[in-house]
Order: sequence, then structure tokens, then C-alpha cells
Amino acid sequence: MRGSFVQKRSLLFFLMTLMLLLPLGLSVKAETFDRNQYIYDYAKLLTDEEAAELQILASELGKERETAFTIITLNETDGKDIVQYVEDFYDDNAPGYDQPHGNTAILAINMQERDVYLAGFKKAEQYLDDGRMDQIRDKITPDLSEGHYFQAFSDYINTSYEYMGNEPNDSPNGSSDYGTGGSSEGYNSYDSGTNQENIFFQWWFQLIASFIVGGIVVAIMAYRSGGRVTVDARTYMDSDQSKVISMYDNYVRQTVTRQKKPSNNSSNGGGGGITGGGHSHSGSRGKF
Amino acid sequence: MILHYKCPSCGSDMGFDSESGELSCQSCGRHETIENYPEDLLTSSFEADEANEYHCENCGAVLITTAETAATSCSYCGAGVVIADRLSGHLAPRKVIPFTINKEEATKAFQKWCRKGLLTPKGFMTADRIKSITGIYVPFWLFDLNSKVQVNAACTKVRTYTQGEYIYTETRYYDVFRDINLDYIKIPVDASEKMNDGLMDKLEPYPYDQLKDFKTPYLAGYIAEKYNYTDEELLPRAKDRISGYIESYISSTLTGYHSVNVKNKQIDTRNVNSFYVLLPVWMVSYDYNKSEHTFAMNGQTGKIVGKPPISTAKVAGWFSGIAAGTFFALKCVSYMMGGGFW
Repeated sequence: MRGSFVQKRSLLFFLMTLMLLLPLGLSVKAETFDRNQYIYDYAKLLTDEEAAELQILASELGKERETAFTIITLNETDGKDIVQYVEDFYDDNAPGYDQPHGNTAILAINMQERDVYLAGFKKAEQYLDDGRMDQIRDKITPDLSEGHYFQAFSDYINTSYEYMGNEPNDSPNGSSDYGTGGSSEGYNSYDSGTNQENIFFQWWFQLIASFIVGGIVVAIMAYRSGGRVTVDARTYMDSDQSKVISMYDNYVRQTVTRQKKPSNNSSNGGGGGITGGGHSHSGSRGKF
Repeated sequence: MILHYKCPSCGSDMGFDSESGELSCQSCGRHETIENYPEDLLTSSFEADEANEYHCENCGAVLITTAETAATSCSYCGAGVVIADRLSGHLAPRKVIPFTINKEEATKAFQKWCRKGLLTPKGFMTADRIKSITGIYVPFWLFDLNSKVQVNAACTKVRTYTQGEYIYTETRYYDVFRDINLDYIKIPVDASEKMNDGLMDKLEPYPYDQLKDFKTPYLAGYIAEKYNYTDEELLPRAKDRISGYIESYISSTLTGYHSVNVKNKQIDTRNVNSFYVLLPVWMVSYDYNKSEHTFAMNGQTGKIVGKPPISTAKVAGWFSGIAAGTFFALKCVSYMMGGGFW
């Protein structure tokens, strides 16, 4: 009985080992792609030190967020659109933090077209949605334009890292423990982990606002201390005699202008989508 | 000619009693109705500058008056006298609103008002340094104005709607015309040079149902002045006062549009009728901190106007209180919104 038990245990062990090795073996078979490399500087925009530094930053912060923060710089894309290129890159190379086609955020820039594209896959698609991607892109575009690539890339990693720490809250009745600053402000207020930076929360803003309110109230008090005019237009008007004697409102003409409806999920015509391999992703596209 | 009111029973001086609205004798309490008092100043004519010096009918002393004074009290015997020459002919007021608040009530009301001041210094609030309180009949012209307004405007209505992929903005243009007749009645304009216009404007409104036909006994015991400006001279000021009212009326007729562009506007204001009245005002002169503050009180409604002194300490107190309160409230709001208390 004992022997069969040992046999069973070793069979279980074997199966488990096989199951663990299977995906590893498959992925090894599938590519020569190093999933732990995050910086693909094909356009040679970074020095070796800078690339190494970004690689360390990406792997450290990526570990905490279980996400591969990937950067691709290109001189040309073989005639492909940058979105297409990024989608193909994800399909073909299957990047990911801990598994192929895993959680991945990609920043791709094409020097020829001066295109910049940000994409988020899996967990990064959820956390780095189109709106947040737009924010990141807005933040780094000035640096990219001026050629401060290292600065722009580290900003991208750091900001993405921050956003990945805060679940986006775009369900209207979703409860959240961080603020919703009013829907009119859209993404800027509710969606970012940086809402501590909202001007309303700054103590100096609150102080100035208080001073202004105090000043206005006291000024009104001082002004009113001398008595107010308490007559208005109706006091002296003879309402029986005062009236419109004749009037007309003639329609003259009309003009109609039309404007294309802005799409909700892509602010620059390049939001998310689905790759040829069937992976959906978020995105934000622009020029620099 | 000097008018002086002697009590027919006891021969003492009579004065206007604001409570009963009659002429009353302080010695024997006799009351005389003013409405039936016989006098006809409009038709009686006195030469202007007929006399430069007036003598009190009661004691014979010289009355000290300014050129405007129409009623005063004799500085020697205290009898209320009316200088009839300055209230006759074209200087005769058509109507008067008599005082309903007497001196004691005015003083009390003023003291009460001082206590209510939120920014006034403590020393002022006790109101114990009233230097003088004088009942003055201030000359006013009441204007009845008629305005004929013709306005032509280009107006638009904007509508936006969505159809398919596009947002459409439809702007409809209208040619709009309004012919308006506006009557404003009894607009008071103060005709005294001495009185501050802004102060007098704030005293309004006066209850016009209290307007009485003018009789000189109403002035007995008070100070009255004749007008310095004629109605013609004051018409521009009257027009100026209603111009804002007219504008707001015009815009109230042009509603329902998103934009109104007035192309042509003609306002023709005519003086339909103007008459000279005397309106009751208590002038309070108050010494505080070596400077004199002047307040005016509507002698009918008791409304008080005038700039009280402002205490720096109280201003600072209110300011810091409100600012601190607001700051705390903002902090709470930001805390509730999840921004953290600090």
C-alpha cells in the first residue's frame, strides 16, 4: 500500500512539474524574445547608461505593479502605422510581466513620422485606459519634442507606475475612496492618482480663497453700513400706462453649421483597439 | 412777511405735532386742524427781496436766516416762524409730507440704529454724543416723466442637435422691434444745494399717500428751505435716474433669445408734470473722535442713511472670523472629497 502511495505521490509531482514546465517550455519554443528586456532603443536615442538605467527602473517598478513597462524607439516602421506596429509587436513577441501576452504598457515613438503611441494590455489596459494614456502622453510630449528622451521615458514609467496603483473609477456608481471632483472636469479630476494635485486641495489655494471670501463679505458689510438704495425700477413706474405698444419678431433667415461628434474613447484619433492576434488594448496617439 | 402761530386760547406759541398731524399748543394742549387753515400763498405775491431782514413776530428780535431758509425758530424766544415770502408765488410748494416721527422718536431710533452697526466702534454705538438733531423740510421736485422707446434689434436663437455622426448648430436670425411707452410718476429729486444727493436718494421711498396740500403751519417748529434749483435745471438728473430703469425694462421685453444686438434705440423722455414738494428729513449731527458725522433719517419711514465710522478692530475681527470659517469649511469639503485634511 505504501509503495503505491509513493508512486501516486511521485506521479502527482511529475504532473505538477510538467504543468509548471509546460508553459515555460512552450514559450521558450515560441521565441528568442527576452521578456525581461523592456527598452528597445532601435533609434539609438539613449546612451547605454541611460538605457540601462531605464531598464532597471522599468523592472523595479514593473515588479511592484506586475506590469512590463516597455519602451520602443523606431527610425522607421516598414511602412506600418505605429498602432499597427505596436499591435504586431505585442502579437509576435508576446511581452508581459510574468507570462506571454501578459500585463504590458508600451510606449512607442517613430522618429520618421514623429508619432508617439501609448498602449496598455491586460491589466494595463484596465488601469491605463485611454484617458490616462492621454494624460501621460500630454505630460511627456513636450520633453519628446525637445529631445529630452530620457526624461520623457522615465516620466512615462513613473507616471504609469503611479496610475497603476489606483484603480480607475469610471463606473458612475462605483464606490471609490478617492475623490470625484465633479464630472465636468472629466479625467483630470476623478481618474488620476494625482488628484492630490488638484488645486482645490492645496492649502494655499484654500487660504487665498478664504481671504477673498472674508474680504468680500467685510467690504459688503462696510458698504452697506451707510444705508442702501431701496427703490428699484418698479417703485416709480406707472404699471397701468407702461407697456409695449407694438412689437414684432420677424424671422429673417437661418444658418446651420455642423461639426463631427468627438469620439469618446479616443481624443487624438488613436485610442485603443484589438490586435490582429485578438488582444484588446487601450491607447493614446499623438505627434511630438 | 413772517407767519407765527399763536394759540387762540392762551396766547402761547404753537408748533406742528407729528403725532396728531395738527398744530398744537404746548401750554394748554389746544389742537388746531391744519387742513382747514385759511391761507392762499399761491395767489398772494410778494416782491422778491422785499425785505432782507425779518423780525420775529413774537419778540421782535432779528431772525438769523440764510437766503434759503423758509421756516425756522427764533433764536431768542424759540417760537416757530415761517417766512411766507419764501414760500409764495413760484416758490410755493404744492404738497408736503409732514413729519410723523418727532424729535424724541428720531433720537431713539438713531440710537437703536447705532447699536445695530456690525462694524461701528463701541464708543459710537452708545450714541451719546448726538450734537444736534434737526427736522428739516427738504425741497424736492417730483417729476412725472413719460418715455417713448423704440428699439430695433437683431436677435438670434441657437439650437443644437445631434444627427448621426454630426452635431448641428442651427442659428435663427430675427428682426425684432419694440415700441414701448413708459410712465414714471413722482420721481423725487432733491432741489437743495446743501443736501448730499447720494444721501437723499438713499432715503427713498417716501410714502406718497401721505402727501398733503401745502399749508404753512406744517412747518411750524421745523426748519424749511426753498429750492435752489428749478425743475428745468433738475430734469437731466431725473432723466438720469430713470435711464437705468428704462434699460432694464427694454431688456425685459427682449427675452427668449440667445443673443440680442440692439441696432437702433430711440428714447424720448418728456417731463409731463413736475411739482415742488417739501419732504421731511431728520438730520443728525454726531461727534465722534473729533470728527463730525452726518446722518439723515426719513421723517416718515424712519430709514437712516449716512456713513458711520468704521472700527478697524471690528473689521479685522470679522475678516479673520469669516476667513477662518471659510478655510475650515473648505478643509472639510476637501476632506470629504478625499483630498485629505492637510
